[in-house]
Amino acid sequence: MRALLAGLLVPLLAAGCGGAGQASGQEGAIRVQVSGEPEEIAVYRALVTAYHKRHPGEKVELVAVAKKDDHLARLATSFAAGRPPDVFLINYREYAQFVARGALTPAGPLLTRQGVRMADYYPQPVAAFTYRGALQCMPQNISSLVVYYNRALFDRAGVDHPAAGWSWAEFAATARRLTRGSGTTRTHGLGMEPTLIRAAPFIWGNGGTITTGEPPRLTLNTPPAREALRFLLGLRPAMPNRTELAAQDLETRFTSGKLAMLLSSRRDTPLFREVAGLDFDVAPLPVQNVPAGILHSDGYCVAAKSSRQDAAARFIAFAVGRQGQTLTALGGRTVPSLVSVSKSGAFLDPGREPESSRVFLDGISAIRRTPVHPRWTEVEEVVEAELTRAFHDGAPLDDVLARIDDRTGAILTTGR
Amino acid sequence: MNAAALLVAAVFTAPIAVLALGSLRRPGQPPPNGLELLPERTTTGNYATAVRMGDLAGQLGNSLLIVAVAVPATVLVASWAGFAIATAPRRTRGTLVLVTLVALMVPPVALWVPRVVFLEWLGFTDHTIVVALPAIAATSPFYVLVFAFAYSRIPRALVETATLEGLSAVRRWVLMFPAARPAAFAVAMLAFVTYWSTVIDPLLLLPSQERWPLSLGLWSLSSLDPPMYPIFLAGAVLATLPPVVVFLLAQRAFLTRTLEV
Repeated sequence: MRALLAGLLVPLLAAGCGGAGQASGQEGAIRVQVSGEPEEIAVYRALVTAYHKRHPGEKVELVAVAKKDDHLARLATSFAAGRPPDVFLINYREYAQFVARGALTPAGPLLTRQGVRMADYYPQPVAAFTYRGALQCMPQNISSLVVYYNRALFDRAGVDHPAAGWSWAEFAATARRLTRGSGTTRTHGLGMEPTLIRAAPFIWGNGGTITTGEPPRLTLNTPPAREALRFLLGLRPAMPNRTELAAQDLETRFTSGKLAMLLSSRRDTPLFREVAGLDFDVAPLPVQNVPAGILHSDGYCVAAKSSRQDAAARFIAFAVGRQGQTLTALGGRTVPSLVSVSKSGAFLDPGREPESSRVFLDGISAIRRTPVHPRWTEVEEVVEAELTRAFHDGAPLDDVLARIDDRTGAILTTGR
Repeated sequence: MNAAALLVAAVFTAPIAVLALGSLRRPGQPPPNGLELLPERTTTGNYATAVRMGDLAGQLGNSLLIVAVAVPATVLVASWAGFAIATAPRRTRGTLVLVTLVALMVPPVALWVPRVVFLEWLGFTDHTIVVALPAIAATSPFYVLVFAFAYSRIPRALVETATLEGLSAVRRWVLMFPAARPAAFAVAMLAFVTYWSTVIDPLLLLPSQERWPLSLGLWSLSSLDPPMYPIFLAGAVLATLPPVVVFLLAQRAFLTRTLEV
């Protein structure tokens, strides 16, 4: 009834608005969908403006979505409706689902035609976006996990700043020494989300793996992985608990001087720069057996249904080219995937915090990544839910790992 | 009695006061430790920043357009549908109420994809007014039920007399509508709140930022980092003002004309 009514009245209403049958959006423009908070979006707007200046004949319409969940919901519905954006930006842990549905045109060959040379880029993100024999999306950034630390809290407690090559034992001792006070003035030594991507570098660093085989199977139950997780769980007294996190999340605690160390990627840098009086820097992750970091990278993908794939490729080539990468690097949130720009002043600006930005580049050689799988995001959700039980509810590790194996097994074998 | 009313008013006013005071906080400061009533360093500049950063002025116009179309259309269609249900023969009435209840139980999220697919197919997306489209189906089955119950309180003999007099359905509806005025007021208020705060529909249907309503602009500002939250709060204060004005005006009209207070 409602659908029938809508079916009858919709054309009338639309005719009244003068919109029936017209293609929406700017004529001849390609649509580029990105997500981010307003200041991050401002960087992409600057990128589009610079592109229009460089290529006066081309038109790019930026579709800016504030939150990541909304970004994915919008992508899902627009793909379902058969009119997806020509280009969209997505994390390497999330693009495989689009490849599996045949929704992408591999970006590699399109960009090669535009003169983009893959040898100019860091190989790790290029490998992460290579799936089913082709470069599916073009990486725009490469970040690794680092330890953000509040220098003032370290100095006040008389604790040495972290140095490259510091051990797990030193890391744990530092976290414990910086946990002090009580009530609302309590400061914690360490903040870490109970997720697979935060725990993975510790597992790799301890000589373990997170998956094995084809189709992949999680290996968090193997001895080196268990040992790494046990080490992290041992740091619980130095971390804010569930109630404290409900009052203020990790980033807020760090900005208000209630958290001495925070494990995060480059993404938090602009936020910490905004806070007046916050004295912070970054340090590499502590090392146990072998140095290991985890890749964070987003890539530009081209929709298979786009009728303007060459125009889409021209825009991507500009965005990952020298000028585009310099603009995004100045925004502060990304580590450029173009090697030359990552080593330039646009990224390593000594006048802006963090002073040790080079740490992001030094860690690249030891960087590893999670496997590419269409249902990987579901696996990460399960692991996060279970690790949250271990970190915040005190659930026994054996029980948590058994449930992770149980719940992720079916996901990983049925997704390919 | 007055004291109790004041207490309730205070409880409901407190969050708005915190919102307004928070909007005066200088951005870029570490977040306060707990509830901070009066910020140490205040500024009114957040309002200008919010308007500029979120393009709120243009979005205010879009929101007004949406409610100007959607609210009267919702009241009209829901009132027609409710009248039809209330005056239908007993068996048909039962079936129609059942169908409406079933429609009410469909989770909105289940309609996201079909709605976008359908409207994209018709080429309607990216027009601000498309957000008002559910109004032609009364926005929510709940509003239809509100009217159905309001009309069902009219003595049946009156409706039957009007039918015997040979009045058309439209004339009968015109005759009965004043009896459902409180329901119309309630539905208009609820529909106003629904369309003023809609986020998902514009998010999925309007790719161009210049076509967004204020609610989506505010949603976007809410993703600002915590030290920049005063800017979001300033935007929230601005977005709250029009509904407050509408409520105050409508409340006066409602009390004097409907309840004759």
